[in-house]
Amino acid sequence: MSRASRRVRITVAIGAAAALSMSLTSCASSSGGVEDTEPDKGLPVAGVNVTYDPNTLVNDGKPIELDWWAWTNVEQFQAIADAYREIHPNVVINVVNQPWEDYWTKLPLELQSGGGPALFNVHNSQHENLIANMEPYDIDPADLDADYAGAASHLIDGETHYIDLGLMSGAIYYNTDMWEAAGLTDADIPTTWDELREVAKALTIREGDQLRQAGFNFNSGGHTMQAGLAYQLGQNLFEADGTTPAIDNAANLEVINRFVDIYADGSGDANFGAAGTDSFGQGLSAMTYAWGWFSGTLTNDYPDLNWSAFQTPVPQAGETPYALDRYNGESTFGINANADDAEKEVAQDFLRYFLTDAESMKELSLIFSVFPAYKPIADDPVFAENPALAAFGEIDRYIWPGPIPATFETTTATMWEEILFNGVAPEDALAAAQATLEKDLSGKDFVSSESLYPFFSGN
Amino acid sequence: MTIQTSARSARQGETARVSQATRRIKKPASELWLRNTTVGVIMASLVLLLLIPIGIAFVGSFHDWNPLNGRFDFTGIDNYAELFADPTFWRASSNTLVFGILAIAGRVLLGLAIAYALFSKLSRWRTFFRTIFYLPTVMPLVAVAFLWTLMYNPQFGAINTLFGLDVNWLFDQRFSLLAIVIMTIWKDFGFAVILFLAGLYAIPEDVLEAASVDGASAWRTFWHIILPLLRPMLFFIVITSMIGYLQAFVQVLVMTNGGPGTSTQLISFMIYDQAFVKYNFGYASAIAFILLIITALLTAASWRMNQSALDAPRRRRFTHRSKEKTS
Repeated sequence: MSRASRRVRITVAIGAAAALSMSLTSCASSSGGVEDTEPDKGLPVAGVNVTYDPNTLVNDGKPIELDWWAWTNVEQFQAIADAYREIHPNVVINVVNQPWEDYWTKLPLELQSGGGPALFNVHNSQHENLIANMEPYDIDPADLDADYAGAASHLIDGETHYIDLGLMSGAIYYNTDMWEAAGLTDADIPTTWDELREVAKALTIREGDQLRQAGFNFNSGGHTMQAGLAYQLGQNLFEADGTTPAIDNAANLEVINRFVDIYADGSGDANFGAAGTDSFGQGLSAMTYAWGWFSGTLTNDYPDLNWSAFQTPVPQAGETPYALDRYNGESTFGINANADDAEKEVAQDFLRYFLTDAESMKELSLIFSVFPAYKPIADDPVFAENPALAAFGEIDRYIWPGPIPATFETTTATMWEEILFNGVAPEDALAAAQATLEKDLSGKDFVSSESLYPFFSGN
Repeated sequence: MTIQTSARSARQGETARVSQATRRIKKPASELWLRNTTVGVIMASLVLLLLIPIGIAFVGSFHDWNPLNGRFDFTGIDNYAELFADPTFWRASSNTLVFGILAIAGRVLLGLAIAYALFSKLSRWRTFFRTIFYLPTVMPLVAVAFLWTLMYNPQFGAINTLFGLDVNWLFDQRFSLLAIVIMTIWKDFGFAVILFLAGLYAIPEDVLEAASVDGASAWRTFWHIILPLLRPMLFFIVITSMIGYLQAFVQVLVMTNGGPGTSTQLISFMIYDQAFVKYNFGYASAIAFILLIITALLTAASWRMNQSALDAPRRRRFTHRSKEKTS
């Protein structure tokens, strides 16, 4: 083959490849929406305080395509996007699945480079890495707060960048078969920690020295309780300045000793299973403390287990504590501040649609096992049918400390391991954890949101 | 030398130079292009994927750095000062040292013992056993770590069940690091077996026959002949193991997450925790550079020890010959 003919072949091949890639690109762009020429859809205005009027033209009716990143439940979010497209056929929103493991490096790096999707789901634990590239919601914060529980706690300099679509907190899950076998009834459901301690003894089964059924198992879950239960004793997680952690104190020591005493009773054992939730699901433990996500795990992984849940007990009967527990929110999506004006306009319109879509909010709340933050649907009887959600009780009595950095969870988890497995005295373990938290949080921009709690009082 | 001879020599030299130059010129252009391109790509990848990231990390170790939100504030040597005052770092360092020593010793001893057994004339089905012993090496470390986590389960794990024990292996600070070491040795000894076998088969047979003829016992043959001849392979395994185990991370992440408490926290896990959990990339970079220095010093010390061991017989022979000449 001559050199000249080889050059011609190579040139033709490159040209064909370029033409093919261009045609594929044009195919992708031509799969977008069609032009919308009818502003009046004949649809009602949705919402209560935050409202959405669908009888408009978005992006002047011209086709536009947006990406929406999500790490889970892609089908549900795509269904919401497709329902919006039925109203505005010119708008195509593609929900793109990015796995959780990669999400929190890919998304911040994309946003920092000036790119990234127009819409992206948010987890508030990643607040620090996302907030600088999030567009504020073009909705009156007062309207948001009127319709969504806890919306005010997300205000930053009078602006909202995301809120909670649902609230999650802890409850005591119990095995109803074991409950019945121990001769217990609904009347025995404990309302105080002392009562829970006695019930745990009744539910414990031993064969000689061998523990066969733990009455209460909190293995690998001590840190989850630690971050919320000191509130019951009037102790905030942060000092008055909102930045100094406050865990080395009498209230946290009382929380630790309470659970250490339950194990000292023999109602559980640090060596009985790596995780209390796993042990509960495997039918080896009668009670465990877990958050709302656990109901989904039980449904999917342990469908044959008969379980229910009751509200986290309080220190004293008949007394309403400062707060029942802390909560954390499943967040609404964020809008990319780097998006162009047309994309932002569409994103803001879609946001209003999303926030006023009661049916979608109800479905997402059930999927995520969260108590709906959207007040108009909070009294829907479907939520009372989920024991984990029904267990929350009065949602206003749960406090949000803010998007606390991950060091809180890892440091208190280490603290509990030092206490349970390495024989470290609780006082010493608390002091060490306090020192670690102060070191990890120094220089960080985090400020607690505890002061926004309606019943807030300082330590 | 006569004029004619020197002239002839000069002509021969010139002819040789011309021939050499002609040979150089005759290399095809495509070969030069391929060579330069290959070397260029390798150099570019080394610079882009190694030198530049290391340089950025080194600079980052002097900053309060989080690339995920763009924070990059100069802090001087604060990260290093904080590191040397951090009890967790010293705990992780001692854990890493203990882990490395035990894992290397276990890998070498077990690998050498099994290789020697396979090398023995008494062994049958060598190929089968070589395959069996090498299998753990080719299994993914994550899968092996998960498997051993189940095996260590205090309620239903195979270890406690088979041996009638009641030990919470991964949550008892007396045993948790040892449990990870045992898993690591099980995973890696097969590679040592293969390498030692290759070293054993490379030993000249006449050396072993001579030892046998001279009446050397099996132990003396092994200690005085086989082991010294295996030294290069042994050194290679120790060095590569040391470099690998100083960076051990996956097994800790999967099996214990550094716990209970900080009982199994290794330096490499600390780097991951600081960078990807707490987003303190500057502090993590400082830890990484300290680890780099430790690794380099240990490797250099090992090379020097090995070189001294190799030089010792030569120095003895030289001294012996010198004494012979002077006497």
